[in-house]
Amino acid sequence: MAANMKAVKLRIKSVESTMQITKAMELVASSKLRKAKERADTCRPYFQELYRTLQEIAKGNTEFYSVYVKEAVQEKCCYVLIAGDRGLAGGYNANLLRCFEEDAKGKMVSVLPIGKKAVEYVRSNNLEYVTDAFAEIADISVADCFEIASILCKEFRQGTFGHVELCYTRFVSILTQNPESVPVLPLIDIAKEEQGHNEKERIRNLILYEPNGVEVFNSIVPEYLGGLIYGGVCESVASELAARRNAMEKATGNAQDMIDELNLYYNRERQAGITQEITEIVGGAECL
Amino acid sequence: MSTFPLRIGTPDGLLYEGEVARLVCRTINGDLAILPRHCNYCTALGMGEAHIILEDGSRKNAACIGGMLSVMNGTCHVLATTWEWEEDIDTERAEDARKRAEARLAEGGLSDKEYRIVKAKLQRALVRLGVKE
Repeated sequence: MAANMKAVKLRIKSVESTMQITKAMELVASSKLRKAKERADTCRPYFQELYRTLQEIAKGNTEFYSVYVKEAVQEKCCYVLIAGDRGLAGGYNANLLRCFEEDAKGKMVSVLPIGKKAVEYVRSNNLEYVTDAFAEIADISVADCFEIASILCKEFRQGTFGHVELCYTRFVSILTQNPESVPVLPLIDIAKEEQGHNEKERIRNLILYEPNGVEVFNSIVPEYLGGLIYGGVCESVASELAARRNAMEKATGNAQDMIDELNLYYNRERQAGITQEITEIVGGAECL
Repeated sequence: MSTFPLRIGTPDGLLYEGEVARLVCRTINGDLAILPRHCNYCTALGMGEAHIILEDGSRKNAACIGGMLSVMNGTCHVLATTWEWEEDIDTERAEDARKRAEARLAEGGLSDKEYRIVKAKLQRALVRLGVKE
């Protein structure tokens, strides 16, 4: 009896210390989240505007000389996979990787992982990767994104792969984050995506390119890619922190429930011990 | 004065949204002005001074570095890598950057990549200082 009580007491202590950790992680995540959310919010209009503008251009495009625009010859697809650096964020990394697996099924892929978890995933699955120089998502800046973009553009021009997709987690709200995969290059891919949504709008807008289409796209596309990757990184970082905060909040709640239950059990045991002792004393006294 | 809607976006947020009478900026092909009722148009931005003329005729100067400009159905979108209004430019910082870049160029012995980076830094600093003057 006494040994059992001691075990329960120890268990309560250990759950309490776990709770302290999860509580601390929750606080850290929520204070970081505020900053990350701000960054994602300021960056979002640019991100959306960029994608929408390029989509419109692609839809109305009649220029098929630039490699960035025309239908891809190469089947291989390069995924820019943006995951987190650490675990303990609920289903954040798992959801993203599942989304990637579904999208990449049956395709020839090459990955550009961003974030430690993405790099680990690529290594353990023996996938082909472009570079793993961007393992820490936490210190990725705008300049890094433009560097990634220029690497991708170089490979794309050389024909290493024919499509580029961006796989990231969209920050909808603190409670919801959706992993998604969007086509980025060639531009004809993003026009197709749009047409799937509304079939009616098929009128072509004629656009004047200056000095000419090829040159315009050659200088726009790296910028567009860099901007899009930066947007994806901002959204993903905010999503990761929000997911971690939620997971830790739940963990703290669960630990509290567990402690309550164990305390109840412990008190019941203690009471039972006392009752038994009294019974024994009374029984002994009656015998005298 | 007739006007057209303009939106200026950068990774640091949407910097301008509203009606303007004229937009002037540097593209890869030289300076360019966009007026109302422009046809659909698309080009890449270079590094240089830019300004907008508001409906009341007042002028706002800015430094514009890289990005794209598109006019679609009368709406003009400027998506720049950096777009700084004249009042937001930090002259001291730009001056510092200019001096540092010039010193490094004078030193010599840079690799091709370093040379490009330093040169781009110098150019950016010069554009910023040019707008301030």
